[in-house]
Amino acid sequence: MDWKSAFARARRGLREERRLYLVAVSSLSVAFLCLAVALLFMQNLGEFGQRWGQSNHLSVYLADDAAANDVAQLRVVLEGLTEVEHVERVSSEQARSEFMAQSTMHDDLSSLPADVFPASLEIELANGTPVQRLEGLAQRLGSFRAVAEVETYSSFFERLDSLLRAGRGLAMGLALLVSLCVLAVVGNTIRLAVARRTREIEVMKLCGATDAFVRRPFVLEGAFQGSMSAFLALALLTLAFLLLRDRADGMLTALTGTRLLFLSPLAMVGLLVGGALAGAIGSALSLRRYLVV
Amino acid sequence: MVRPFPFFRAGVRADPDAAQRPILELSGVSKYFQRDLPTLRGVDITVQRGEFVFVTGASGAGKSTLLSLIYRKHTVDEGHIFFCGKDIARLTSRSIPFLRRNLGVVFQDFKVINHWTVFENVAVALEILAMPRRLVRARVAEALERVGLAGRGGETTENLSGGEQQRVAVARAIVTEPALILADEPTGNLDSHLAIDILTLFEEINETGTTVLFATHDHSLIAKRDHRLISIEDGRAVEARRGLSSWPGSGLHALVG
Repeated sequence: MDWKSAFARARRGLREERRLYLVAVSSLSVAFLCLAVALLFMQNLGEFGQRWGQSNHLSVYLADDAAANDVAQLRVVLEGLTEVEHVERVSSEQARSEFMAQSTMHDDLSSLPADVFPASLEIELANGTPVQRLEGLAQRLGSFRAVAEVETYSSFFERLDSLLRAGRGLAMGLALLVSLCVLAVVGNTIRLAVARRTREIEVMKLCGATDAFVRRPFVLEGAFQGSMSAFLALALLTLAFLLLRDRADGMLTALTGTRLLFLSPLAMVGLLVGGALAGAIGSALSLRRYLVV
Repeated sequence: MVRPFPFFRAGVRADPDAAQRPILELSGVSKYFQRDLPTLRGVDITVQRGEFVFVTGASGAGKSTLLSLIYRKHTVDEGHIFFCGKDIARLTSRSIPFLRRNLGVVFQDFKVINHWTVFENVAVALEILAMPRRLVRARVAEALERVGLAGRGGETTENLSGGEQQRVAVARAIVTEPALILADEPTGNLDSHLAIDILTLFEEINETGTTVLFATHDHSLIAKRDHRLISIEDGRAVEARRGLSSWPGSGLHALVG
């Protein structure tokens, strides 16, 4: 294997076809940017899912005629459970004022009496509490005399979970589509370069070059194109991330309580290596029919 | 004859008797591009080492096809082609590059790469053999001197005349010191003076011991030299004795005028 010669020929090929490769790298960078954005979206969606994807909260609404003694006993029992982190009692008055503070229809609802809002026990569970355990706890709490209703928010989280799954699927589909685009663009670019260099290939084959000898510089050129495009896309994404992070962070924190994350080092290395591989494979595939001399 | 490169694929043992055999033997070779219409039919030709052989025939007679079967652009449909005693008609596609390293092929359209320098065009044949850079420089300089282009290695090939471009192609063909040179209408794109120059160049190469198979339909060129002549007529090879003076006739007189 004469890699030194292959590198020299690849360098010459890149120099001679620099305009074509410049156009190809620009198009590929856009494709890789889409891929990187899709990955970034997936990563942040994953983080959001981890933070919000399951319920850690239970609201136990107390019966109107619940005796203070029963409620106190219930609270003691709950605080004794390992999966319960914190229990807070919210009175009807507190519930009303919290609602009024958050409501935009302050004036219209100000006449509502306090007993419209039931008193409750707000329970924070430990992270990672299984859904079955949560459901079991809700069922047992429902049998207490002082409890009118238990809200687990499970339907909301089921909907959120299916939304997150759809988002992940969409991002993965986009990633796959972009990968195919990358292969096609690299393949077509190399095919154009090869079409302009068929005489070169023919001469080499007639002089006794093996297919591997002819293929090697083109594969190197393809790998260079792919990795260069991925690098440019990452550079653009980093720049955009740095410029928009503060604004996006504020918005995300307000909406979801999470912060915007950048791609992990593994994802970045994967993008660079994947770019090089896609370029190399695209080149090798597009060369096949030109090797028959 | 110096043949410094391993014959066919690495690992294949050299046949010690090969040196005693003719360099090229075609036996019952047929090639069909169209069914029931053979381009070549039952061609039998034997070429001895160091011979200079003209292959002639009308346009489309099958001269180029005959040569392309030897450098394995195409495969024979019937028959055998023995090169140095080895049946190259049955070579696997992986062995073809190793066959071509022992051949020099020159074409009518030169097949030089215009944006490369003269040196690069010639050196490519040696780079394929992974020859050290220093040796490549020495061998290319020697080949360029033999074809009359000494000291012009740095020039871009597209700036050369047609005759000079063909000399570059000849230098590329001889730089590896092949056992056999196949010239497919090498003077077809050149005027008569340049054609004689190129023919003379091939004769000089032949004088050093290299076997030359020179395909041409240029009758004036054939008439000027007294080399063995094979004509392709109606898909068959018609062998003539040396020289036009002893030409056997049967249509070939008309052919060569």
